[in-house]
Amino acid sequence: MKQHSTNPTNGLDAVIEAYKKDVDMTLIRENLRLSVDERFQQLMKLQQFAEELQQAGRKARSRE
Amino acid sequence: MTDFTALLQLLTENDVEFIIVGGAAATAHGSARLTIDLDIVYKRSASNIERIVTALSQIRPYLRGAPPGLPFDWSVETIKRGLNFTLVTTLGALDLLGEIVGGGGYDQLINDTVEIEVAGVSCQCLGLERLIEVKRAAGRPKDLEVVAELEQILTETGGEC
Repeated sequence: MKQHSTNPTNGLDAVIEAYKKDVDMTLIRENLRLSVDERFQQLMKLQQFAEELQQAGRKARSRE
Repeated sequence: MTDFTALLQLLTENDVEFIIVGGAAATAHGSARLTIDLDIVYKRSASNIERIVTALSQIRPYLRGAPPGLPFDWSVETIKRGLNFTLVTTLGALDLLGEIVGGGGYDQLINDTVEIEVAGVSCQCLGLERLIEVKRAAGRPKDLEVVAELEQILTETGGEC
C-alpha cells in the first residue's frame, strides 16, 4: 500500500488530514459490508431521496 | 436520477471499453458520498468510438447544460473531434472522458483497475490507490474531501473493493 506524506507543511496533506476527522467511519463500515452491486443500489435510492427533498423544497418556497 | 446500473449494462452489452472513475468509482470502493453522474474514461480507438456511438444513440445523448434545440450531432466524427463530453441521456447524466487530470487516458489507467460486478455485468473500475492519486491531482476542495474519505477506506480495507 502506498503511503502519502502527512507532512503538515504540505498544504494539501494538511487539508486532507483536517477533513479526515469529519469522515463518518460508521457509514463507511456499513457500506463496506455491502456488495458493490448493493452500494450502487443504495446510491440510486439516495439520489431519488435527494430529488424528492429538492422537489419538496421547491414546493415549499412556491407557497411562501 | 441517473440509472447507474442500466448505463453500465448498456455500455457492457455493446462491448464498450471503459473504466469507471470519479464519484461512481468512489461508491464502488465504499464511499458514502452522493454522486449524481456516471464518469467513465473510454478507449479512444476507432472501433470503440463506433461502439460508444451505437450504444448511446439508444438513450438520446445531449450536451448537459446546453440550451435545448442546439444542433448536436451524435456521431463518430463528433467524438473524434472532441475529447470529454458531459452528457444528459434518458438514463441520466453521463460524463464521457477521453482523459482525466492526473491520470491520462484509458491506456494509462487500465493497468490500475479492478473488475467489479454490477447488475450482473463485469466492469473495470479505477483502483482505490489510483483513484486517490487522480483526485489529489484534480485538487479541487471537493476532491480533497473525497481523498480524505478514500484514504480512510484504504486504511480500513487495504484497497480491496
